[in-house]
Amino acid sequence: MKLTRALEILPKSLWVFHCNSGSCNGCDIEIVATITPRYDIERFGMKLVGSPRHADVLLVTGPVTKYMTERLRRIYEQVPDPKVVIVVGNCGASGDVFYKSYSLDGPVDNIIPVDVYVHGCPPRPEAIIEGAAKAVLLLEKKREELLKAGASR
Amino acid sequence: MSAGSHKTYRIPIGPVHVGLKEPVTTWLDVDGERIVKATVRPGSIHRGIEWMARERNPIQVIYLAERICGICSFTHIVAFLRAVEDAAKIEVPIRAQYIRSLVLELERVHSHILWAGVACYTFGYDSAFNLGMLLREKVMDVLEALTGNRVNYGVGTVGGVRRDLTPRAAKAVREMIEFYRREFQTFLDVVTEDPIAKARMRNVGVLSQEDAVKYCALGPTARGSGLRVDLRHSSPYEAYGDLGVTPLVPQDYNGEVFGDVYDRFFVRVMEVIQSLELLEKIVDGIPEGPITWEPKLPKVLSALKAADGIGWGIIEGPRGDDTHVVKLTKGEENVTWWKVRAPTYANAVSWPLMFKDQEIADAPLIINSIDPCISCMERILVSDARAGRSEILTRARLVERCREKTRRLMGA
Amino acid sequence: MTCRPQYVQECKCPDEVMNCIRETLGECLLEMELRERMDGMPRRVLYRDLWIRLKRDGFLKLVDRLMEIDFLHFHVMSGNDDGDVVTLNLHCSLFREAGAGHRLGVTLSIPIPKDDLVFPSLSGRIPGTEYSEREMREMLGIHFEGLQNTDLLFLPENWDEEIKPWRRDETGPAPENIRELS
Repeated sequence: MKLTRALEILPKSLWVFHCNSGSCNGCDIEIVATITPRYDIERFGMKLVGSPRHADVLLVTGPVTKYMTERLRRIYEQVPDPKVVIVVGNCGASGDVFYKSYSLDGPVDNIIPVDVYVHGCPPRPEAIIEGAAKAVLLLEKKREELLKAGASR
Repeated sequence: MSAGSHKTYRIPIGPVHVGLKEPVTTWLDVDGERIVKATVRPGSIHRGIEWMARERNPIQVIYLAERICGICSFTHIVAFLRAVEDAAKIEVPIRAQYIRSLVLELERVHSHILWAGVACYTFGYDSAFNLGMLLREKVMDVLEALTGNRVNYGVGTVGGVRRDLTPRAAKAVREMIEFYRREFQTFLDVVTEDPIAKARMRNVGVLSQEDAVKYCALGPTARGSGLRVDLRHSSPYEAYGDLGVTPLVPQDYNGEVFGDVYDRFFVRVMEVIQSLELLEKIVDGIPEGPITWEPKLPKVLSALKAADGIGWGIIEGPRGDDTHVVKLTKGEENVTWWKVRAPTYANAVSWPLMFKDQEIADAPLIINSIDPCISCMERILVSDARAGRSEILTRARLVERCREKTRRLMGA
Repeated sequence: MTCRPQYVQECKCPDEVMNCIRETLGECLLEMELRERMDGMPRRVLYRDLWIRLKRDGFLKLVDRLMEIDFLHFHVMSGNDDGDVVTLNLHCSLFREAGAGHRLGVTLSIPIPKDDLVFPSLSGRIPGTEYSEREMREMLGIHFEGLQNTDLLFLPENWDEEIKPWRRDETGPAPENIRELS
């Protein structure tokens, strides 16, 4: 990415909704670490929001339990377009250690479309920030596509 | 709120609730702002881990056990390993026992600080939350220096540990102890000396001593109700027999016990200070020697294949005692069956009691008070069946309600 | 039945507890083992676990007798499908508040025949057992007599209750109930 391009995009901050679909909590505390003073992603205006309706990005952790499948779909549908889905952690991406079970419907891309995968068990906060940076670009691309297709701003 | 109306409303909290193995959907029946009844339904994160273990050998199960909970992952490993070692009659070398205790205490420090920070966040004290999270990064650095990972350390193995305590890591631990002795008091003061924080926690979510016994409460939840129960004291494991731990109860410091959120908060922050002492004792007293019973993995696996019997591992995790039971069968490589009981499983049974007669605004705090890791209520649906209308309360608005109460108390 | 919701402050020695159990159970006692858990430097006994195998008929009598000694702290139930029987294990402890190293772990193992999978509920005596009983009901299909709440605990709402995930026979999950994620 060219620096000028990055600077054009950066002011458009991401609002993120986080959904735990059966994760062990390891990724979730790393997400908390990402937003708190050491890594402080909030300085870029990125923050966790309380409702999917306010979000640009849906952050999903966990291998999706049967109990959560329908709920995850509903949350996804509530996020307004353009939206980007980030999966944080190996188990959401592939199942990882939870590769076979009677109570799982995952991985996440079996339920909803996924745009960015952040690997690691759990990924380090730096990796989550990198995933968010990729999401910014994707979101911008999706926004432009929507504009071209004639959607109002 | 019109007086005299006695409609009860049913409010579901959850199901997205960043819990452990057992995150919870809670249904609160409310009359006005007062909670009349609470119903708890766990299960949204039931992954069938115990069933998965039937197709894996004990060494593979270690990495599964670690992922039961990302916050007390080492607690789960040690409980599992102790169960396997009990079943297979394996002796753990003394140095490995000390290293296990060391990592357990580091984990307790990070877990308690995380909890204390999140509790502050819940009642709108964001500066204390950020201060807590900033302090927590120090212990994360030490864990990383010691094990290579921030979360899910992967240092335990059957019969010992996989990483030795190097002089450099020991130095990092000592520096951390110094750091917390210098800095942690600030955090303690800004919360415990703060009249608003105290008002939000005192007499909220009370669990009486009798109920704590009846409902089998554990860990800081039980100690917050005044019970002197701590497995590190009553049935010491690993190096704790040499360290001498006494259960920390609020009545020893404050003269009386309320069994409320404040007492549970107090127990946890004081335990951080207790853990620092234990860490110092461990680093000073760690003996030399091997760190595994058998370094060659194939030999360990064949010993486990020959083992037959049930083993029980029970240790004091940050949230209470963690129980693992394992059955190994002679001639079989895989674990026959495995049962895990994480502490919240037991503490959640007493949740409905704590909710009784509390205000909705206190609900997030009460949920948090038994420390089910980060309480993350997705959204709340308030429905009035008689009027046929429903309103979605987002988590943001729920937290906002909680904070409004703080502002009211401040008289702002 | 005496059910004091408090813990005793002084423990009894394991031999005394064992004699008491032998006396109470009589014929119903199948097996008893005291395990010493050694650790520390020097390596020494730090605490003890008692493993008891008994017949279902003696169970309530034993629990009531143990409750007279100390309020039985209940940890968890585990269970396994062992062919003709389902073995149910209750993991409890005594003397939880009775001083350093005095806690006594007590495991009660009870084989229950599959054609009569009924077991008395403890939830009246020890309310903390509710979750475990509900879990054993949904996972292994044990019917607890006297258990008020039989809602599903861990399994999803739309789960077919005929399928008992932990069973190894025809009531267990069939291959089509199991999903391979990768």
